[in-house]
Amino acid sequence: MIFPKWTNSLPLVLGVVAALAGAAIVPAVTIYLTPKYTRAGYQPVQPVPFSHNIHAGQLGVDCRYCHNGVEKSWFANLPGASTCMNCHSLVLKDDPRLAIVRDSAANNTPIPWVQVHKVPDYVYFNHSVHVDRGISCVKCHGRVDQMDEVRHDKSFSMSFCLDCHRNPAANIRPTDKVTKLDWQWSTNAAEAEHLQDVNGKKFVHDWKVESLTSCSACHR
Amino acid sequence: MNSNPTNSTPANGRRYWRSLDELADQPEFKDWLHREFPVGASELVEDGQSRRNFLKIMSASFAFAGIATLGAGCRRPEEKLEPFGKQPENYTFGDVQYFATAMPTRIGAIPLVVKSYEGRPVKIEGNSLYPGSNGSTDRYAQASILDLYDPDRARHFKHDGKVVSREEALGFLDELSKKFAANSGEGLAFLAESSTSPSRARLQKIIADKFPKSKWFTYDAIDSGIHQRAATQAFGQSVKPVFNFDKAKVILSLDCDFLGGEDDSHNHIRKFAAGRKAEQGMSRLYAVESLFTLTGASADHRLRVPASRIFEIAKAISTMLSHLHETGNPLGQSAQCNIEGVDSNWVSECAKDLVANAGKVLVVAGQRQPLEVHLLAHTINSLLDSIGNTVGLIPTNAVATGLEGFDLDAIDTLVVLGGNPVYHLTATAKPKNVVRLGYYEDETAQKCDWNFPAAHYLESWSDATTSDGTVVAVQPLIQPLFGGLPELEFLARVAGESPTSAHEIVRGTFGGSEEDWKKFLFNGFANGTAGKSETLSFQAAVPAVQSVATSGSNLEVIFYRDSKVDDGRYANNGWMQELPDPVTKMTWDNAVLISRKTARELGVANGDIVEISLNGKSVKGPIWTQPGMADYSLGLALGYGRERAGRVGNSVGFNAYKIFSGKYIENGATIKKTGETHVLACTQHHWSMEGRPAVREANLEEFLKEPEFAQEKFHGVEPPVVQSLYANPLDEAKKTALHQWGMTVDLNACVGCGTCVVACQSENNIPIVGKDQVLRGREMHWMRIDRYFTSDPKRKNNSSRFSLSADMNQTDENQQFAEWIDDVQAVNQPMLCQQCESAPCESVCPVAATVHDQEGLNVMAYNRCIGTRYCSNNCPYKVRRFNFLDYNKRPLTELKGTIYSTTLTHKTDGVWDLLRWWKNPDSGMRSEDEWDLIKLSKNPDVTVRMRGVMEKCTYCTQRIEHAKISQKAKAGASDNVRLSEAAGTIPKTACQQACPAGAIVFGDVSDANSSVSKLKLSPLNYSVLGNLLTKPRTTYLARVRNPNPAMPDYHDPFSTEEFESQSLTPKGNS
Repeated sequence: MIFPKWTNSLPLVLGVVAALAGAAIVPAVTIYLTPKYTRAGYQPVQPVPFSHNIHAGQLGVDCRYCHNGVEKSWFANLPGASTCMNCHSLVLKDDPRLAIVRDSAANNTPIPWVQVHKVPDYVYFNHSVHVDRGISCVKCHGRVDQMDEVRHDKSFSMSFCLDCHRNPAANIRPTDKVTKLDWQWSTNAAEAEHLQDVNGKKFVHDWKVESLTSCSACHR
Repeated sequence: MNSNPTNSTPANGRRYWRSLDELADQPEFKDWLHREFPVGASELVEDGQSRRNFLKIMSASFAFAGIATLGAGCRRPEEKLEPFGKQPENYTFGDVQYFATAMPTRIGAIPLVVKSYEGRPVKIEGNSLYPGSNGSTDRYAQASILDLYDPDRARHFKHDGKVVSREEALGFLDELSKKFAANSGEGLAFLAESSTSPSRARLQKIIADKFPKSKWFTYDAIDSGIHQRAATQAFGQSVKPVFNFDKAKVILSLDCDFLGGEDDSHNHIRKFAAGRKAEQGMSRLYAVESLFTLTGASADHRLRVPASRIFEIAKAISTMLSHLHETGNPLGQSAQCNIEGVDSNWVSECAKDLVANAGKVLVVAGQRQPLEVHLLAHTINSLLDSIGNTVGLIPTNAVATGLEGFDLDAIDTLVVLGGNPVYHLTATAKPKNVVRLGYYEDETAQKCDWNFPAAHYLESWSDATTSDGTVVAVQPLIQPLFGGLPELEFLARVAGESPTSAHEIVRGTFGGSEEDWKKFLFNGFANGTAGKSETLSFQAAVPAVQSVATSGSNLEVIFYRDSKVDDGRYANNGWMQELPDPVTKMTWDNAVLISRKTARELGVANGDIVEISLNGKSVKGPIWTQPGMADYSLGLALGYGRERAGRVGNSVGFNAYKIFSGKYIENGATIKKTGETHVLACTQHHWSMEGRPAVREANLEEFLKEPEFAQEKFHGVEPPVVQSLYANPLDEAKKTALHQWGMTVDLNACVGCGTCVVACQSENNIPIVGKDQVLRGREMHWMRIDRYFTSDPKRKNNSSRFSLSADMNQTDENQQFAEWIDDVQAVNQPMLCQQCESAPCESVCPVAATVHDQEGLNVMAYNRCIGTRYCSNNCPYKVRRFNFLDYNKRPLTELKGTIYSTTLTHKTDGVWDLLRWWKNPDSGMRSEDEWDLIKLSKNPDVTVRMRGVMEKCTYCTQRIEHAKISQKAKAGASDNVRLSEAAGTIPKTACQQACPAGAIVFGDVSDANSSVSKLKLSPLNYSVLGNLLTKPRTTYLARVRNPNPAMPDYHDPFSTEEFESQSLTPKGNS
């Protein structure tokens, strides 16, 4: 006898092991190798402890005060230190935490902020067309007005983009409410949903909002 | 000159000599033609590395990559965003800015608008605000932006070959200035290229005043100033001619390649195309020439004569006309010219046509022709009332050019401004001291004591005068990348002037109020400064020129300005090297152009290296038989064979300057076969349309009789009516889409200049592949210009029915020298993705990487492409391009060889590339500074494709998206989102914008009022291969020729005759 008896069960054992391994690998890949895991939650430490919670949330500074290019350019720019100094030349004038900002404004040396949100190079995302046409910052960036340190909130995967592109009516809002991150149609959740549905469809129709799902919309 | 041993010659001896083989139609050639890519194109590298070896190497690389991934983790690397410290006003990061400037040329300037992205210029366009301009450029202007980012540019101030500091070098100029101020410039000489800059003229004047004994020489290897000198001599005043091809009804070109090789050709093309609208009365072009040029290809009648006999023909015509002028008699049968080898009827009928259209005639002489021919042209123009009508004469400053009185011994210090005199003049001796401002460390720099790096025109302040006399601004888009000096600053320092800043010098020359100055910079030109045409009468005697009969032992040599490298200045420009020559379709080389008959007589064939001897000097170069060449003429393109051009341009082609003595046409040359051969890389080996109606043509008379001649019922196969089981998804999408994009290409306007090809390359980040890759059929141009030669089927034999399949394909080694290729017609057809509505490429893509969008674009998602190349295989137009290698990462030094290194075998800056790649996966096999420059030069709106990805024209989808996004952002909460031609919001594709002829029209075909919709309703509109039911969105407008029925060579367009004899189906009603 060349093969011992236990080899009879080998195919079965191998089959079961393979099935178990497969059952483990597939969910592991779908969970851990997708942007939901690899990107969302990313929260690097920034060179200046700037709090969006204080500025945008508590003080109510509009997003566009600092990110002033967002309505004109594909890029939502970071403000120059001179923008910070508009207030901080009076407020917290000598605070040591702002030393880098004062130095930057005085000597024109850039502050090395760490980039949080990024789409791949082959995706040509344009801020202006979204913001100007009623897609709120909160839809992609989450409640930045509640974050002390900015965190990557949403996955930014292709399906994340497509969910909205396939159904813009569910996400569109009046253009003057775009930077109001806590804005809702109504405090009543059911009513808000209904109003979103009705008004969303109306906006999509009235503004000729396209549901762009072809490659050329984002890839060039 | 090196022949390449690795591309060995196969058994039949002429494998690489492709064009004429096609006529011979050997079986392997036929097979080759019908393949998408040449044999071997899919094998990675032939020399030494088979596919198996490659896999071995790759598996090792993958192992390394796996380890790297583990080490680096899955998170992408941390990147920094660095905003301004002080926010600049009126600047939004990410917004594109445009600045008006101009590219100076020898006799004018091209007004430009340059697109700047994050402070770096990325794309050059013509200035459409400029009066009369359609916003077009020429190919040189399009390619000039690559020179800005050329890593081989001169980067340092050097003294005796050693790098010195900028301060030390500038200090030397101060000393120089003081030294010669003391002795009023004794021994000081300047050698400069032509310039039309008023500021330079002002500085030149200051120098002449300050250093009265100094000498100023202006020298250009390509002398474009002859038009001005001839007009000045002919009319007794300092004037320069402006040719109004749009106002002419009959144009006679005396060896004048005004559509191709002459300076200012983009203006000529624009005006010429404006006068060639079939519906509105066409002009007629007679061309008398020796080389086959773009002008000859556009001509209705072309006479093939040696360049040195042009004078006789011009003389004969002018004699006939003066006879008429003096006696008042119309030209009778007695009017004859007796020139050997020239049909006298051709000349007399041409003369009659000129007379019949007096007042609307334009005769132009080529810049390579001697002054006497120019004077004869002006004589004819004067006799026929052209002056003031088709020829404008604009007063201008007289410029002395040439090197008369240039005495090396009398010069103590020679200041060289630009140019490359050592290369152009093959100079060996040098004056005592030479100070030079140059863009490259080239042949001249090597012999200079002091070298100053020059700034690019996109880095300098200057001004210039266009060919019509308008003053234009040259303003910088970027600080000099390597600290180069603008020419004006350099001159001001030599002159010891202050201020030395080029900006202040230009401002000083301009004068005027601050408002005027701002307007000047905003518009890019000073309005109303164009010269007013003067009415002058001809008042010169025309000396006779003795012409010499050419023969096999007394060949004529024609030195011509190359359509790619110019006089050699663009030799290091990879786009220009790889641009197929508009006529020969040759890349990365020049050749000895020769006629079929001469080649046979001298026993030479394509690729044979011959030694040309002229006036005791000789040079070696490969032969290329050019259909349509005059017999016993040799065409030699100048500008190749550079020794110190840079890594791209070194030793490409052969240096014709070695036998050039300043005369562009010379007799008395002989050639000798050396026995060596050289491989020439041509992009179009396929001459004939094989009787297919890809290009459709008719004579004007036939068009007037049957305007629908181009339609399928007369000209091709009617598409079958097919009821598909599946609906085309585009039909559904069309209902809601905002636009439907389409394009027309007017074959009647297109002259085939190639500007669109370079513009496309610049806009779409198309890589340079190198000569070896071109030979393998891997060139990457998204847009090509197919040039087909057609000929009279009857010249093959006397039978009335000519059958390609029977007679022409009977192979015989000698048939490639068949007589009928002597007199050919050429047609040009720009070929780009046709954006078929039912695209054959899409249905075969296994990963749906190429699909339609809702607006009718056939788009490519590069990141999805896995490189099966099925799409390319299934494309009937062959417009898809595959990245066989990572061309962007390829070292410049490897562009010309067969070697393609891998990171395993290659070192950059002394560091093993695999190690560099480990540290930075983006590094590639190029040194860091080079790598920075290549990144700067790319258009950020277009993905840079990597190896293994298919790519193709997308109608510049990035421009369309940009326009749509801008419109939507502007619309906000309104429905004003549609782009419309009426509102001027429709984008232009790069090729359309660059086209001097305005042949390409792009727009929304769902808008009935758009130009493209109207053009598609024209009877001339047809689809190429429309019978395949691909429903192309790019359609063509058929070409109409306007030959003179009285001429002896009047006939139907050859392509029509070929089609009829081939298809065996008689045409509808003629």
